[in-house]
Amino acid sequence: MKKLLYISITLLLCVSCDDYLDIKPVGQVIPTTVEDYRSFLTSAYGITNLSKVLTSYRSDELQINPSSQGIEQYEDVYTWNDENPSPLTRSYPYAIFYNIIFYCNHVIDNKNDMEGDDNEINELVGEAYALRALQYFDLINLYAKPYSNTTAGEDAAVPIVTSYQTNVDYPANSLQEVYDLILDDLDSAEELITLNQQNTGLNYRFSKVAVKAFKARVYLYKNEWQQAINNADAALAIHSDLQDLNEDTSIMPSEYNSVESILALATVASFDISNNATISDDLIEIYDQSSDLRFNLYFKETPAGRFQSKKSANNKFKVSYRTSELFLIKAEAFARLQQSEAAKTSLLALAINRYTPEGFEQFNLKIAGLNTDDLLAEILKERRKEFAIEGHRWYDLRRTNQPEITKTYKEQSFTLEKNDERYVIPLPNDAIINNPKL
Amino acid sequence: MKKLIYLLFFLPFLSIAQQKQKLVSGTVTDAAMNIPIPGASVYVSSSMIGSKAKEEGVLDSAMLGTTTDFDGHFEFSIPEDIKSLLVSYMGFKTKTIDVSGAATNLTIVLQENTENLDEVVITGYQEIEKRKTTSAYSSINVSEIKQAGVSTVDQMLTGQLAGVQVQPTSGAPGAPSKISIRGTATLNGSSDPLWVLDGIPLQGEDIPKDFRDKDNIDNLGSYPIAGLNPDDIESITVLKDAAATSIYGARAANGVIVITSKSGKKGSMRINATANAFITQKPNYSKLNLMNSSQKVDFELYLASREDLNYQENRGSVARILNSYNAYDTFQNSGFSAIPTEAQNAINKLKNTHTNWGDELYQMAVNQQYSLSISGGGEKNNYYFSAGIFDEKGGTIGTGQKRYNITVKDNFNLNDKLKVGIALFGSQNKTFSYITGADAYTNPANYARNANPYLTLTDDQGNYVYDPDLVERSDLNLNYNVLEERKNTNHELTANSLKSIFNIDYDILDDLHFSTQLGLQFDFNKTEKFSDKNSYYTRKYEQKSQYTTTNGYAYYMPEGGITQDLISDVFQYNWKTMVNYNTTFNNIHELDVMLGTEFRRNKTNQIQTKGFGFNPNTLTTIPITNELALKNSLFTPYKKQISENSFSSFFGTASYTYDRRYTVFSSLRYDGSNLFGVNPKYRYLPIWSVAGSWNVDKENFMDDLEFISNLKLRASYGIQGNIDKNTSPFVLGTYNNISILPGMNEEAINALGAPNPDLRWEKTTTSNLGLNLGLFNNRINVTADYYNRKSTDLIGLKSVPLESGYNFINTNWGTVSNKGYELAINTTNINGSHFKWTSGLNLSHNKSIVEDIEIKENSFKPSLKGHSVNAIFAIKTAGIDSNGLPLFWKDDKKVSAVEFYNLKEGTDGTQLTRQEHRNLYSYVGDGTPKFTGGFRNNFQYKQFGLRVLTSFIFKQTVQAAPSYYPTLAQPGNNYSTEILDAGTGNLPALIGANSPGFNTDLVYSWYNSFDAGRTYDDLDIWVKDISYIRISSIRLSYAVPNKKLEKLNISGLNFNIEGRNLLVFGTDYDGYFDPETYGSLYAQPIPKVISAGFNLTF
Repeated sequence: MKKLLYISITLLLCVSCDDYLDIKPVGQVIPTTVEDYRSFLTSAYGITNLSKVLTSYRSDELQINPSSQGIEQYEDVYTWNDENPSPLTRSYPYAIFYNIIFYCNHVIDNKNDMEGDDNEINELVGEAYALRALQYFDLINLYAKPYSNTTAGEDAAVPIVTSYQTNVDYPANSLQEVYDLILDDLDSAEELITLNQQNTGLNYRFSKVAVKAFKARVYLYKNEWQQAINNADAALAIHSDLQDLNEDTSIMPSEYNSVESILALATVASFDISNNATISDDLIEIYDQSSDLRFNLYFKETPAGRFQSKKSANNKFKVSYRTSELFLIKAEAFARLQQSEAAKTSLLALAINRYTPEGFEQFNLKIAGLNTDDLLAEILKERRKEFAIEGHRWYDLRRTNQPEITKTYKEQSFTLEKNDERYVIPLPNDAIINNPKL
Repeated sequence: MKKLIYLLFFLPFLSIAQQKQKLVSGTVTDAAMNIPIPGASVYVSSSMIGSKAKEEGVLDSAMLGTTTDFDGHFEFSIPEDIKSLLVSYMGFKTKTIDVSGAATNLTIVLQENTENLDEVVITGYQEIEKRKTTSAYSSINVSEIKQAGVSTVDQMLTGQLAGVQVQPTSGAPGAPSKISIRGTATLNGSSDPLWVLDGIPLQGEDIPKDFRDKDNIDNLGSYPIAGLNPDDIESITVLKDAAATSIYGARAANGVIVITSKSGKKGSMRINATANAFITQKPNYSKLNLMNSSQKVDFELYLASREDLNYQENRGSVARILNSYNAYDTFQNSGFSAIPTEAQNAINKLKNTHTNWGDELYQMAVNQQYSLSISGGGEKNNYYFSAGIFDEKGGTIGTGQKRYNITVKDNFNLNDKLKVGIALFGSQNKTFSYITGADAYTNPANYARNANPYLTLTDDQGNYVYDPDLVERSDLNLNYNVLEERKNTNHELTANSLKSIFNIDYDILDDLHFSTQLGLQFDFNKTEKFSDKNSYYTRKYEQKSQYTTTNGYAYYMPEGGITQDLISDVFQYNWKTMVNYNTTFNNIHELDVMLGTEFRRNKTNQIQTKGFGFNPNTLTTIPITNELALKNSLFTPYKKQISENSFSSFFGTASYTYDRRYTVFSSLRYDGSNLFGVNPKYRYLPIWSVAGSWNVDKENFMDDLEFISNLKLRASYGIQGNIDKNTSPFVLGTYNNISILPGMNEEAINALGAPNPDLRWEKTTTSNLGLNLGLFNNRINVTADYYNRKSTDLIGLKSVPLESGYNFINTNWGTVSNKGYELAINTTNINGSHFKWTSGLNLSHNKSIVEDIEIKENSFKPSLKGHSVNAIFAIKTAGIDSNGLPLFWKDDKKVSAVEFYNLKEGTDGTQLTRQEHRNLYSYVGDGTPKFTGGFRNNFQYKQFGLRVLTSFIFKQTVQAAPSYYPTLAQPGNNYSTEILDAGTGNLPALIGANSPGFNTDLVYSWYNSFDAGRTYDDLDIWVKDISYIRISSIRLSYAVPNKKLEKLNISGLNFNIEGRNLLVFGTDYDGYFDPETYGSLYAQPIPKVISAGFNLTF
């Protein structure tokens, strides 16, 4: 009895019962080690963002049919009706970018507190910088004007958030500031990442070559042509394989396991694109169906004689960067710098892998006779063909000449004027409702 | 202190040891019943032998005395110079006996002491003498409110206790009642009170907040008290104010209900058997006011005759007949007489085809309930054993509950100082219901509202006839038949529960007591859902596995039945240890101090399995091989969840009473719990209260007011806290598996909600003022309380800029106050020798006000700010125009729908900003009743007893589900007869896009497609105030006179008949089964029960 009493009195006096209360819930974790943070960033990589699917509808790559299932979601996207869209319309993603940025920020913020191997930490934090840059890059290409060095300082873009805080305002930053952040982040990524290339299957993660390819694209969009060339070259120095379609058409060059893959991250197609939409006549027409080996690889014919994308919702079609883009970036940048020969060399280096031998001969001949302006146009056309339904088109339309586009839907004609202000997508309503500072 | 102990030990010896002794003996009997009283104390007053003043009537070792044996007999020796003895027994007046002369074979008759009945308040931690209480509580003996055919005690509390609102969620067997004590103090947490059984908090599922939701109402749950047999319960005490509940810590924010179970009483063995047969009446289906076949056929003809009403115009049997004769247009143009005679006959035949849905879905059920208990006690121990069976089939065919109970309790006095007690409560509780989860039609109450009255269920050969109008899409009917569904599906919950309590009490010193109590609870719950291959449920489920192939659609769900099991395994222990110090000095200072610790831990393992292609004969399933199934959580074969919580608490109370008049009380508790990732500064929550009371009747100036037999004033104040465990200042993650690229499956950590380092705990302060008044020797007892509870920093979701990475974060944004008063009056109206009439009336009023709340920007409905937590907002209509389109009030002017909603040609009305949309609404009333209460009357005439229990609700605003939608009136559905009045009174007319009237097309498309905030549901025509009084029980009993029983060795035999829920008076509740479930399309009717039974004791 006395014992019991003593035990109880001891317990009564026991003030430190923290151990008793330390229960780690099964399945929950506060990330501390680099492995935890790796899994944490994997979640961010795994967040599906359908912005490229929607911009494909918005661009001139697709044609939609009023009778197909679920078409209400895309009608107003297709016809650039941003003002008064139906409630069923799929809205352009916004929050999801910042959700991914939240993950990246958390990894970056905790660089010095992470437990584990320093190299792994550097690698991971480098990836987080690059992934964050990618989110801002997509955000400004949706919601801000294309870059112009004269106005970028004043053009409103999106808020820059580099750490998590509650109760703060998020005013929009200028386009220049966002571009500066992107390049800063990419520099940090370059410093930290040592891995040249990721293995197939993990190539959704950034590597050295992916960061350089990304940089090449950023400079291209910033109209800094020489920088674009330099970075494309740096990337190609690491990885320059192209898939020769004369020899291998078992997979598309954009697939994650193609030799061309540099980063296989973005979702570019969907079930609805491959099943409930067809390729626009406009796009079909620019292919030489007999000699362009991409045509049959990219498209399938419907019973009605139209064409549909073979790129679908399957994960294997994820793509962000691949080597062929580096060739096209170089070709375009050289052309812009009036260096036609270098531009042609780059263009042809890709083309030989894309056309039948006869087709390539013709292409070669055609290129040979072009002046710089026409060559640039041809390069952009080649870009359109190469990257059909890969999420490039809308961005390319914006940053190049913002042409007039006319679509007919339900017997009504819709026109996006040349340099139409709708080349910039208005911020979604829920973003403005939640952030009055925008 | 030491001196005192010294004195206590030695004084008796000093004063008594050397004196001459004499023998005293006698028998103690009860004045009223004239039977011996075992266990009465017979002793020499401590004052007589010089001991310090203790509580009179309690024996301790320092004093001289004994207790009576089984026959009420006592015998002991006292010093010769002792002149008098005291005889006392709880519940009786203490008597002083002169023993100066001869003192053997005395007969001492004790008078019942009505004043001191229920002398103590049982809080679960302490037993506090009533005169020392400072807090607000209500208590009741279960014997006073016991009803036959009721499986759980929560239902019996309806209307019985002031400040305790009990609302049945449904009439289904085993359905829980939602209890709210003094309103709701939280905006999104659970509002259920804490149930405590003999000091041990019970673990169980929360009652869903929104039980109008079809899934919530049909899910079978294992609730905290479901396994307890009301026959094993002695009394219920509800703790209401902070002074009473703060000892329970954070869990007690919604009040505490303390259950005290029966235990053995001193005396010879008592065997008690109770048996009841109860008949659940078939519900009154006509309450739903549905159209009969004739009305429905005429209505379909009316719809067909109107060209503009073409919503699903091919549905319904009339349209099918017309179409089969190609006569639809003929009918529309030229009327009924123009269509072929065969068609006319077929339609007329339909009018006379009546399916009685009430008979198909509901039944009268004969049920039974038995319990048996054996109890008794002696010097060394007391015991209570019981067993019970409860078997109920519900009024809705296919529902039921079956429960088996065993209870064992034994308390041992190992020696003068050490007491040990053990209690075991074991039960199996099975509940049955129809399968849920496919869609709303598997709910019989809801299906009955929609099914056509002329629809037959089986054809001449006995084959099932499927409802032709219950279709998924125009080209897909999954074949629903309510009989087939009932036969081929199954849904049951088996809850096995064992609760055990072990306690030790040890008197270290006379005024220092130690006690420790360990409670274990094991719950094993298994929910089985089975649907055979031939069932709508299975067919519907299969649709969810549809995918496209080159040859069209295919399904990856294997053919066969579906079996789904949910197994949860709950373990809880609760160990508390307390030291009590109670002392009195100088006769007028009383001090009670208690210190204690409590450790609690619970762990729940949950396993959910699903098997497809199930063959009920071989009990085998077929695995799904298609990869698509991996992405569909509906086809996840196995899922496990584990949750574990631990709590450690330190607490103390102190109470000081001066001169039996003034008492101050204070309690403090530190509550710690496992808060993974929670801000360490909130690990321990301090919860405290202070209170005081004044026994005014003990004052000298009250001596003249003899009619006041008791007057006490109380006041208390306290703070309670709660922390949200789901929000952390850190980034918390959950593990997950994802596949980003083909062939790779990786572990990922998902961030779980937005971190918020600024989160504070929710705080509730409660003040209470109370009065206890007893008049005319306590024949009238009044308890009145006024309270003010204010909850601040309530946690809820708040929208944040999306740039933070999240849409919402949890922040402290709400303030809710609840103010109210309660009144309970218990009276003995007539107390004659043959006729006795007692009654109890209670009345409560609670008004909650949401003082501060942040509204979500995208909300359609107005903010609750300034209104009740359950405020109802509606759109004020102003009748209808000549075309039947609704008119509205806007700025005191009658306006059309077009103006009211700002409808414009070419737009859809969504141009209303959310703020403008919110402004359409007006506050129309409070969903919480203004007054609730009950009135209990007991009449006793000779051997007959009559008890009438009622409960009432005064002025509650309720909202019905619209009986029809003007743009969606479809011939394939049945409706309430209200639709026949559409276009008259305030009821909007049925319209189509081309119906006559100014801008009807705009109104049509608004209500048909664009009314995203569903304002039609909120038109004030669906809202009304109701008040009602329910006669919950009328019970007539007859006690067989003792004289007749004595020969049979029976000490008591009672027969009783009872009618439950037979009558409701008040506002009509047409369209629904019961006023309590008004507005719920899914609730099962509350059963009307007639029972007969007996209670035998020997």
